[in-house]
Order: sequence, then C-alpha cells, then structure tokens
Amino acid sequence: MSDIRIIGAAPVTRRRRRVPVGVAVAMGVLAVVVLAAAFGNLLFAEAMRQDVLASTLPPGSPGHPFGTDELGRDVLQMAVAGTASALVGPVVVAVGSMLLGVILGTLAGYEKGWLDTLISRWTDLLLAVPVLLAAIVVSGVMGGGYWVTVALLVVLFSPSDIRIVRAGVLEQSARPYIEAAQMLSLSRWRVMFRHILPNVTSLVVTNMMLNVAFALVAFSSLSFLGVGVAPGTADWGRQLTDGRAIMFQNPAAVFLPALLIVVVAVCVNLVGDWIGQRLSQVGEEVR
Amino acid sequence: MTVLVEGLTVIGPAGTMVEPVSAEIAPGATLALIGESGSGKTLTAKSIVGLLPRGFRAAGSVTVAGQALPVDRPGDDAAWRRARGRSVSLLLQDPFTSLTPVHRCGDQIAWTVEAAQGHRLPRAARRTAVEERLAEVNLPARVADAFPHELSGGMRQRVAIAAALASDPQLLIADEPTTALDASNQAEILDLLRRIQEDRRLSVILISHDLGVVRGRTDQVLVMRGGQVVERGATAAVLAAPEHPYTRALIEADPVVAARSGARIAAEEAAPSEVEPLLACGGVTKAFGVRTVLDQVDLTVAPGAIVGIVGESGSGKSTLARCIAGLEREDAGSIVLGGAALAPGRGSRTPDQMQIVFQDPYSSLNPMMSIGAILGEALGVAGRASSEVPGLLEMVGLPAEFARKRPAELSGGQRQRVAIARALAPGPRLLICDESVSALDVSVQADILALLARLREEIGIAILFISHDLAVVRMIADSVTVMWDGRVVESGPCHEVLEHPAHEYTRLLVAAATRENAVPAEGKD
Repeated sequence: MSDIRIIGAAPVTRRRRRVPVGVAVAMGVLAVVVLAAAFGNLLFAEAMRQDVLASTLPPGSPGHPFGTDELGRDVLQMAVAGTASALVGPVVVAVGSMLLGVILGTLAGYEKGWLDTLISRWTDLLLAVPVLLAAIVVSGVMGGGYWVTVALLVVLFSPSDIRIVRAGVLEQSARPYIEAAQMLSLSRWRVMFRHILPNVTSLVVTNMMLNVAFALVAFSSLSFLGVGVAPGTADWGRQLTDGRAIMFQNPAAVFLPALLIVVVAVCVNLVGDWIGQRLSQVGEEVR
Repeated sequence: MTVLVEGLTVIGPAGTMVEPVSAEIAPGATLALIGESGSGKTLTAKSIVGLLPRGFRAAGSVTVAGQALPVDRPGDDAAWRRARGRSVSLLLQDPFTSLTPVHRCGDQIAWTVEAAQGHRLPRAARRTAVEERLAEVNLPARVADAFPHELSGGMRQRVAIAAALASDPQLLIADEPTTALDASNQAEILDLLRRIQEDRRLSVILISHDLGVVRGRTDQVLVMRGGQVVERGATAAVLAAPEHPYTRALIEADPVVAARSGARIAAEEAAPSEVEPLLACGGVTKAFGVRTVLDQVDLTVAPGAIVGIVGESGSGKSTLARCIAGLEREDAGSIVLGGAALAPGRGSRTPDQMQIVFQDPYSSLNPMMSIGAILGEALGVAGRASSEVPGLLEMVGLPAEFARKRPAELSGGQRQRVAIARALAPGPRLLICDESVSALDVSVQADILALLARLREEIGIAILFISHDLAVVRMIADSVTVMWDGRVVESGPCHEVLEHPAHEYTRLLVAAATRENAVPAEGKD
C-alpha cells in the first residue's frame, strides 16, 4: 500500500548524480598536474642546474628521489618543470581543432550541397596525411618550434572533429524541431548555433577531451623524435629521449615521464567520458 | 492448462509501481489489459516474462499450466530460460525493431524452435519446421529466405508472431501488437492471432491503449490506471456498462466508439462555402527519384475550415503537407494561399502564412531549450514580446509556470500543446497538423482534438488535419480527402464520405474506423 504511483509521464526517479570514484581520482590527479603546470616553472632554474658530479644517479639517491639524468639534472624536478610544456600544447590543439570542427562541421552538416562536398573532401585529404610524418617534414622545412607544431597539429587534428560534428548536425537537422525552426523562418545561423549546436555539445566536448589525450601523446612522440621542443627544454617527451641513453643506470629517467604521459592521458579520457555522459543527459528523459 | 495470476505486484526503485493484480485465463481465452502510458500495463506484462528493467522486482505468483514462473527473481536468467519459451512468450509492438535486421526471417524462427527443443535440428527438419510455422501465420515458404526489411509491416508482424509461437508457449503476451501497423493490416493481424489462439488453445494477454482492439476479440478486460486495476470483468459487459468513471472516459474518448455513434468533437460540419478558398492546391506532383509520391493532387481549404486528409503510410499525405509548408519542393502544380501563388520551397513563405504541428511530440521541441525560450522565439518572429508567453500557454490550456520547464519534464500531450502554441505564435492563417495526435493516448488525443476545435472557433484558424485514422478525422473535420498511392481517390463532406464511400479503399478505411468487420469473440471457425 504505497502512496507512490506513476501518474502520466511524471518522472519516477531522479538519476543519482554522484561522481564515480575513478573519475574523482582522475580529477584529483589532473588538478595536481594543472597546478604543476602553472607553478612548475618556479622550479625551472633549479631543475635545469647541471651538476656533472651528480650525473646519472640511481633512484633513491639523497636529494634526488628519482635520481638524476646524465647531465646531473634532477629527474623529478625536470618532470614537474616539463608539465607546462606537456599540457599547454595538447590543450591548445584540442580546443583549436574543436573550434575548427564546430564551425566547418556545422556548416557542412547543415548547409549540405557544394559546401559539404568541399569540406568533406578537405577532411578526407587531411585524414590521408600521416600526422607525425607531416610534423617532422614541416618542422624540418620551417625550422620547427613549439608553436609551429601546435598550429600544424590543430589542422591535422581537425578532420575527426569536423566529421564528428558534421554527423551530429546531420542527425539533428533531420529532427522535427529543426523543421519547426525553419517554419518560423529563423536565420540559418540561429538554427545552426542556437538550436543544433547545444544538442551536439556532448559529442563535441567528449571528442575534445579525447583529443587532449591524443595530442599529449603526439607531442611527446614529436619531442621524443627531436621535433617540437628545443633540446635542453624541460619536456616529458624530451626527457624520454635523453633518458633512453641511461636507461640501465637510472630507469626512472625514462619511466617517470612515460608514466606521467600515460597517467595524464588516462585521467583526461576518464574525466572526458564522464563529462560527455553528463552533458548528454541534459534535456534527456528522466527515467 | 489455465494461467493463474495471483497478487502480482511490481516494485520499482521509488516504491510500488503496480498494485496486486490477480487474474485467471482459461486456455484459448484472452485477457485484455487496458490503460494509458504510465498505467502499469507494460510493467505487469514484463514482470510475467521476466524482463523487468534493472531496479524493479515483482512479488506474487504466476502459474502457467501448473508450473510457477520465477516472477520474484527477475535477474535469474537460468530459471527464466527454462520458463520462457515453453510456457510464456512475448510479442512486441514494433515489427520494424523486434526482428534482427541482419538475419533471414527463417533463421529467426528456427532459433526459437531449436531453443525450445533443446538441440539443433538437421537442415531438412529445420526447413520443414520453419515452413510449418510460416504457414500457420499465412505466409508463403519463400519468406523464410527474406530479410525483415524486404517485407511489409504486416508481414513482419506475422513473422514476429511465428517466432513468438515457435516455442509452443501456453501463454502469449502481446504488447500493443498492432499499434505500429496501418488500419488495413491491424484487423488482419488481430484476426490471425484470434484464429491461432483457438487452434492452439493458447491463453493470451493482450495489452493495448486502443479499445477498438479489445472489442470483440477478448473475453475479459482489466482496466488499469496509475498502477491499479480500476475495473475488471467480461469485455462485452465492461464496454457496454462501464462502472468506473475512468473507464467511461476512456470509452467516450475512443474514436471508434464516436464513429459508431456519430459523436463529434468539433461543432457540426460547416457547409461547403462559396467564399474564395484560403488554400488551393492544383495538380501538385512530386517524385522521389523514380517513385511518384504525389500525382496531380488537388485540394482546397476554406478560411476557418477543418479539412482532413486520410491515407496510410506511403499514400503521400505527409508529402503533400510538407510541399504546402515548403519543407519539400513539389515538381509541378500550383499552391495558392490567400490569393498569392507560392513558389516551391521555404523561400517564398512567411511564418504568418502557415505552421506545422508534427507527429512526434518528443522530437518536435528542442530538448535543450526551455518552453519559455521556445515560445519566446516563435513570438519574436512575429515581432511580439516574450511577455506574451503566459497568454499563449493559457490559450493551449497550460499553466504559466510551464515556461520554466524543459520538454523532458512534460508528458506527450503537454508537449503537443506547446508545439501547437509555438505554431500559433506567429499568427498563421493555416495550421497543418501532420499526424499530430497519432502518438498520443486516446484520452489525451481527445483533449488535443478538442483544443484544435476550440482554436478554430476562437481565432478562426483553418486546419489541415492529416491522419491515418478516419475515425479520428471524422470527429473534427468538416470535409475529408482520401489519398491512396499518391492520388486523391475521394473527397467531400465528412458524413457523405463515411456514409457513402465510393472508392474501394475508402470502404476499407470506413470499415477499419468503425471496426465493423471485427470478428466477434465466439463463432469464428
């Protein structure tokens, strides 16, 4: 004899909106990493101090918990100092390619016709370009540099964004609420960016977070290959290259930056997935 | 062999969803579960086949031919695999999604046969078994080799029936088995079910919101509302003399009942007027590729008139509406509104000429916008301030505080009211309702029809009302146009078309609307 019954389409239960443990941990890790990126350069001078006498110390050495590299720089301090370089590029790449994706993808998906053909063939062309190889070639020709790499990756990452946004917009634009907006003779910009875009936000944001992780790995790979950051800069990928030579004297010189890359990439993915799920529930049926 | 349901209760995460239900169904008998969405009828059915959603559980007992079903253990797959099939089977509403698209129909039937017999069959025996099952539902053997998408909706539902019965169950639960089908297919499927049921001495629980389905084809009826059984009894007795006010309301709202008694929701049919028509379509033709969907269609709508267009899916009625609205471009023909010829497409149309209300209330409102924002935007198009939103909501019978809600918080009927309000905001002269009440429960449907009729009285708006159901159209329209295969086969004042249908297809529709050919429960071979 309960007095709770279902009446009409009234919501029966509210979804529990608790942050899962894994996601909470990932958020904590990312918070620490962001702090390190913001204030890590304060340790920079100290980290870059070379000390030939202390070169290639193993982990656990006094004052150097993760040992030192072959130039005697502290591995932990280098890693902390390298956080900014490792994080800023990928975030800029992900946001930049998202903006490109939203603008071009929405235009392609909504306007269709020749504009769609043009944009879609452009993405096909870009998708055929191997990212790392192109980055190496362009850096070689243009002299390289961090921001050249960033700009290049924005362009090379954009096709997946464009295609995902385009698919989402195509799906939405077939819905009756879009036709209702057309019946009101609303401007195409209003339909595209006020009606359709909010409904593909979850796709866009999830994909952007995934791209942060991809770009992080891409940047590290490029640094590892000697493209991107200049030698001597504190950077996780650079550390991998430099540490490779002394892998058996001080394994931490390789494994610490490698571990950081993996951990940050995983955390970004976890948080990204969760944010995407949350966003896709906005406006959805409460069941 | 009797099916015995005793004190079946469904408990969800928020408490009891269905209060104890008890029933006894003799072999060969049908129990109807009637109710609107949210009444608990589907939950009840799902609890009997062990398909309750996560977080739900059932109490009580269901016994099929002396064997108890594990209703209180919804997660116990092993127990359910034993119980399902042999004793109970489920037939779903939508034949377009209940069959796997990537497998041939014959295989889908064979799986169930093999699962029920517990072993794989040799090739020849398998084929014979499948062909027998297909013959039982009046399908030719070649259907076994067809994929679901190669079949029509009615044929697909027959395959689904064959698959549901392939395990030779004692109890079949049919959940809205004909709701997704055209009028002409509905009666056939229901009669087929009835015949098989008698041949096999099968007990059936038929779930429907449609009283027309229940009438003449079921023995007992349970009327459910808000998780409670409000009325029960022999079908004929309940329909003839309903005791509970809710049952009475349901019966009154049923378009078929109205079609039989001649009751209307709108005022009496307006006589054909001599004034210049508001909308005049002449020779409208449209093809998609090689398929002609509109062939020289003529249509006129007088100012303030309600004109119905009836036809089944594929008849071109929606395409005609979309051409008039400019959402599709006609290939040839003229569309004249208020004396001005309209070019194909949206370009030459303004929001104050006409607006559409679509079928699906769930996708016709932007889920990310509040009701206030949706209506404010529509008002802004006509240069009206969003301070008029409460007035607009009141006009369609919704309280002003709905402006703050999002579409997901509203029921289907409420959403359709919002869609009507949005359509009215720019002050159109013609309102096109494209199957606007088809997705709603009967009583909600009647409310929306009443709203449309009232709007016509109050603001004199003309309405083009498109539906597959003649019974609904005749409750509201002054005149009706019947479409079939892209052509107008008949048109005229509603009562004339209903009383003296000239075209064969119209006669079929009229029969479906009044269910005159419905087979009585007894006396069928």
